[in-house]
Amino acid sequence: MSDDMLLQATDVCKYYHSGDSDMAALDHVDFQLKKGDFTVLSGRSGSGKTTLLNMIGLLDTPDVGSLDIAGEDVLALSAAKRADFRLQRIGFVFQAYNLIRVLSARENVAYVLQLRGMAKKERLDIADHWLSEVGLKGLEHRRPDQLSGGQQQRVAVARALASQPVLVLADEPTANLDSQHGESLMNLMRDLNERCGMTFLIASHDPVAMAAAKQCVHMEDGNIVSSDIV
Amino acid sequence: MFRIYMRLGLRNLLLYPMRTGLTVLGLAIGIAALTFLSAMNDGWLQNMKVNFVLTQMGHVQVHAKGFEASRRIGDYMHDTSEVDKALQNMPHIQAWTHRIRVSGLASAAGANASVLVSGIESDNEKKVSRLYDFVQQGKWLQEGDKRGVLLGDVLADRLSVGLGDKVVLMAASPAGDIASEVFRVRGLIHSGVMDVDNLLALVPISMAQHWLGLGEGVTDVVIRADAFTSVDGIVNNLKQILDSKRLDSKQFEVLRWQEIDPMAEQWTIFAGVYTWIVLLVVIIVVLAEVLNTMLMSMYDRVREFGLMAALGTGQKQLFAMVVCETLVLVAMGGVLGFVLGAAASLYFGAYGLDLSQYATAFSFMYMSPIVYPELTFNGCARILIAAMLGAVLAGLYPAWKASRLNPAAAMREV
Ligand SMILES: Nc1ncnc2c1ncn2[C@@H]1O[C@H](COP(=O)(O)OP(=O)(O)OP(=O)(O)O)[C@@H](O)[C@H]1O
Ligand SMILES: [Mg+2]
Repeated sequence: MSDDMLLQATDVCKYYHSGDSDMAALDHVDFQLKKGDFTVLSGRSGSGKTTLLNMIGLLDTPDVGSLDIAGEDVLALSAAKRADFRLQRIGFVFQAYNLIRVLSARENVAYVLQLRGMAKKERLDIADHWLSEVGLKGLEHRRPDQLSGGQQQRVAVARALASQPVLVLADEPTANLDSQHGESLMNLMRDLNERCGMTFLIASHDPVAMAAAKQCVHMEDGNIVSSDIV
Repeated sequence: MFRIYMRLGLRNLLLYPMRTGLTVLGLAIGIAALTFLSAMNDGWLQNMKVNFVLTQMGHVQVHAKGFEASRRIGDYMHDTSEVDKALQNMPHIQAWTHRIRVSGLASAAGANASVLVSGIESDNEKKVSRLYDFVQQGKWLQEGDKRGVLLGDVLADRLSVGLGDKVVLMAASPAGDIASEVFRVRGLIHSGVMDVDNLLALVPISMAQHWLGLGEGVTDVVIRADAFTSVDGIVNNLKQILDSKRLDSKQFEVLRWQEIDPMAEQWTIFAGVYTWIVLLVVIIVVLAEVLNTMLMSMYDRVREFGLMAALGTGQKQLFAMVVCETLVLVAMGGVLGFVLGAAASLYFGAYGLDLSQYATAFSFMYMSPIVYPELTFNGCARILIAAMLGAVLAGLYPAWKASRLNPAAAMREV
């Protein structure tokens, strides 16, 4: 693997049982990411975007194939080591229900830092910093149900970035937002990618998301069918 | 991390005030009732112990070796001066007295009844037992009134005798001869305890010694301690002193109150079993109340647990989180219930709970019909520990489920 390669997925398959036949959600997928990439994974509903993201995020394990992230053979890790790898290396932004509902915006961001054992003052300072980076200064103490959908997604982005991961995975981050808020969220992430050099992989069939991409990867029926630098 | 578990637990519980409130209420009622029951049991036991000891047994008795088993007048102590000397300087002794105990027969005007003759020292006896307080008619035995006798009131009824009447008492002497003496009834005793009211005949100890040919001998030294907690110390002390006097240690037996009457031992065992049953019920109440609530709350939050796992929360951490939440829930209900139960126990502990309407016959078992619940430190600690144990048990299964979730699958749930 060359120096600027971050992720290498080789021949990855994932099968689900439907009725009495097996159905391939991922069908021999090869996929790479370089450091600093800002890649959007597009494709129709059911094409396998979430499944691929889950494999890369170590939320699920492929049935076949190998997966190397930041030089580590992550499929060989135990469940506890995988949880730790997620904590230390990967930031997540999900489509919805991103936040722990009983924690404030700032506590949500600080939660991951707390899991890492960071002291209270430091983690709250960092949380406040990233909340202001995503434009939520002044809303630090609101609980998720006191924030709009777009604001909630921004909190999730702040959380994903606060822990300085090597890779940020976002699954349909704009799906629940109107196009204006979707665009500003994408611009925010792109901006952070450019300023901080963090690598992003975003699954989305939203044109707004695709417009922000440096690279577009298209999936169909569990296969990657095209990959274009924009 | 512990603090965030607690904070998450508390806030999640407050998120569903109705569900949490009902569970807390159920727990509180259960724990309150069980705290009260446990205090009742302790109060009752304490009351029975006091009645048992003070009616006539004393806290500690010294006999000639083997008397407790044989109950034969032949096994009497010829000389108790070493015992008396030892008791003179011993701490925690309130009083002691000597007795002669022998079973025999009473007859008066054609009626017969079996009796337990007890030769007593009239002054010392007052300081050791309550028999003096139980004199219902007539007077306590007077110094110098050699032929006076006090009878249990039921016994007197059976013999159809009253104050001033004559009674003949018969008993076997150590030599095996049947000896009889005439006494005059000076008083009647009513204690509520069957063994006393139906059987007891109190006579002066000097008369009994003379009558049965015991010389200066007695069968019992009966000791009243200043508290139940002093009993073990006194017994050990006494055994040690008697041993060091190079007296043949086989000469005496030193018995605790529990060893004097097998019934007393039975209560202690029964009370212990009852305590365990109460604790078991505490655990079951907590389990039943809490397990269901926690499982429901778990299923509501599958997504959130999936999210936390996805973010890198370890399985052990998720497990601890759910157990902590259960502990917080039980602590809320448990503390409330405990305070209510303790308050009720203290109230009735001060004013008494009168059960005489339902339980007139209790006194034969040394129970008073008015119960004073007693809140002991051990009793409280046991209940709280059992509640927490129940909480941990109730938390285990939901915690196990939460920690085993596959994050990808959990996140798909809505
Ligand atoms: N846990 C599962 N059990 C059974 N089938 C599944 C499961 N997860 C995914 N699938 C199937 O695998 C295929 C790929 O699903 P996936 O969620 O990756 O699609 P997607 O591209 O993310 O779609 P969308 O745009 O709707 O989110 C679909 O056909 C889906 O039905
Ligand atoms: Mg999807």
